[in-house]
Amino acid sequence: MTTASEVLSSLQSAFPGAIKDPRVESDARLWATVDPKRIYDVCKYLTDKLNFDHYSGSAGVDWIANNEMEVVEIMASHGAHPVVAMLKVRTPRDNPSIKSLTGLYWNADWYEREIWEMFGINFENHSGLYPLLLSDELMGVWPWRKDFKGYPDLTTGQRAVALPTANGYTEFRIPPTPAEIEAGTVPKERPKYPSFREREEAEIKSDSEMIMHLGPQHAMVPGPFLLDILVEGERVRKGFLDVGYIHKGIEKIMENRTWLQGITYTDRMCYVASLSNNECYCGAVEKILGLEVPERAQYIRVIVEELSRIQSHLIGTGEFLTLIAGVGYAPWQYMIIDREHVISLIESVTGARLTHSFVRFGGVRNDLPDDFAEKCKITLPYIKSRINEFIELFAQDPIYDLRMKDVGVLPAETAKEVGIAGPALRASGVSYDMRVEDPILVYPDLDFKVITGTKGDCADRIDVRLREILESIYIIEQCLDRIPSGPIKPEAKVPKKVPAGEAYYRVEDPRGEMGMYVISDGGDKPYRVKVRGPFYATLQTLPPLLEGVYVADVVAIAGSMDGCPSEADR
Amino acid sequence: MGISDVIPVPVAIDEELEKWTIFGQPVADVWFTTTEKIHQIIEMGPIKNIFNWGRKNSVYFLMQPMGCCGVEMFVFGAAPYDSDRFGCIPRNTPRQTDVMIMSGYITRKYLPVFKNLWEQMPEPKWCIAIGECAISGGPFYDSYNIIQNTADYFPIDVFIPGCPPRPEQFLEGLMQLQEKIKQRKDKRGYY
Ligand code: SF4
Repeated sequence: MTTASEVLSSLQSAFPGAIKDPRVESDARLWATVDPKRIYDVCKYLTDKLNFDHYSGSAGVDWIANNEMEVVEIMASHGAHPVVAMLKVRTPRDNPSIKSLTGLYWNADWYEREIWEMFGINFENHSGLYPLLLSDELMGVWPWRKDFKGYPDLTTGQRAVALPTANGYTEFRIPPTPAEIEAGTVPKERPKYPSFREREEAEIKSDSEMIMHLGPQHAMVPGPFLLDILVEGERVRKGFLDVGYIHKGIEKIMENRTWLQGITYTDRMCYVASLSNNECYCGAVEKILGLEVPERAQYIRVIVEELSRIQSHLIGTGEFLTLIAGVGYAPWQYMIIDREHVISLIESVTGARLTHSFVRFGGVRNDLPDDFAEKCKITLPYIKSRINEFIELFAQDPIYDLRMKDVGVLPAETAKEVGIAGPALRASGVSYDMRVEDPILVYPDLDFKVITGTKGDCADRIDVRLREILESIYIIEQCLDRIPSGPIKPEAKVPKKVPAGEAYYRVEDPRGEMGMYVISDGGDKPYRVKVRGPFYATLQTLPPLLEGVYVADVVAIAGSMDGCPSEADR
Repeated sequence: MGISDVIPVPVAIDEELEKWTIFGQPVADVWFTTTEKIHQIIEMGPIKNIFNWGRKNSVYFLMQPMGCCGVEMFVFGAAPYDSDRFGCIPRNTPRQTDVMIMSGYITRKYLPVFKNLWEQMPEPKWCIAIGECAISGGPFYDSYNIIQNTADYFPIDVFIPGCPPRPEQFLEGLMQLQEKIKQRKDKRGYY
């Protein structure tokens, strides 16, 4: 098995002089600074020779004190080995520019566009640096730079106004205030690019083609995003995505909050899976602090996170069934009724229905209630019987079969290449689960299977999700049997200031691999928090997946991804 | 314009009809009237109470989740909390709805879309703001992308605080709105 130090020595011998400040944190984490001129070759070498076939994202960091910008490329492997390589590339702060990796990894596109619009780092050879999350009026402001002027005093209490346009419509925008103009928040020059509308209209080649809009308002996706499809007759020729309708700038806001306050923001990132997000953030901070979590707290965390996975899969499947069934709300109602049982279990522990803020640095907020095990003994078998019923129902239904089988097929090779995450990846037959790849808490002691599908069509994705619920129930039952008594918090008080350092922590969110890259500069606030969200990765793969399918299948394919646009937008 | 210009009726009847009145107005006026006129006429009689009673009991809402509160809106509209009991049924298109539930943060990019949805809803319509975000920006009050003066754009009748409010609070807010409609204290209704 490859370890981080082996990867490092292999890299050093292949690229003498190009790898600086290497740090082997553990067998599974490698940190290094790479010469900006060689980054493309280093990544190519990693992919070709060392099985790093999973480009997991990239993060921008603004080191204003050193007058440098940094891009951190996060490289991992789809199950060949557990090493995550964090390769840093530095570039001077005035006129920052580095090589694009889009030639190597298809999915680098969105990550680089995001860094470009937030930090103003240019990517050489990138084919389309268009804004992704921000609206046009914020382009050129580079909001995530540390010297983004006017934050937070001028951005607080923003007021939009309605302005009439030349063609008789009304526009709603937040005009710059005199204070902002004085402070220099409004950029003098903005980057030039064709707008989203122009880009998609440029693709219309003949009179028989037209563009259909799906969104931004969807009734059954918990957040808005715009999916435009270019159709020719009954077939989709191309898909276009516009996201960022609920971009809240969480990563920027977290830099302005204390470490503890940050937990509440992770709740609101993906509100259907807030406990996994809590875990991810707290885990990263614990890594920097070097905190050990008491065993009882670890078990409690596993229990609530698995419960959270169950409720998330239930709501996701329910949404999907409503999308394909059109008018009928019946399956949705059943799933929501079942979900309420799970929610009330979680609520009895955390005290909240959605936004829990339950996981704390080095432990959890409170212990399980006394009758929790008994309640579980009633609820879990009930959920299990319901899920078995659903699986049986879908297996028998001929219409469901016609609608779902062989629709939106994603072969394993393509799935790996496009970097899709979570159940959608596992449905294609790739056994890739963070609970096994990068084990945290007590997961190594627990016995569970990674559920995989065979073909990777819509039916498989739903099936994987439903069977994962059964697996989660099994995990919870084991935990309840084994949970020891003891403390749930670290004995010493957790310090308010976190020592300087950085950590990358991955958890298995209900939607797939979620990672958080946290940097501390020794203060009482994070220096940077970067979220690598699973649905961000999945959403990006939608347009190619839609090419050539029937219009009627579009909702089925998009729905089977179990969307949470809020986490993609952050 | 006489009725016979539109419907072929004998001229004598046309002339006769023009003398008729309803609520003190010539029938012909009422016949070829605008919606506005109808509103005026309804406002004059006790029939408005019946109208308001009807409206209050069929406030369909737009299923339009746009934040964490949107997930609670799902649950509010589904079986466990069953908003149907109060005549409040989730609809998927703004053209069939009476109530806009503002269920989360409004960003710079989403405000024009949201306004568009609001304008597509037929009158009379009402707006409920749910959660801290919709009321004042909530936890994201200092974000560069969230607008906070939602009340300037939408005539919000009921504010439901919470982050997120529980579905029970949704029900309470809905009943408050119904009460307002009944007492004719709402911002947007006509009667
Ligand atoms: S009020 Fe709270 S729960 Fe509701 S959308 Fe805002 S952050 Fe989310």
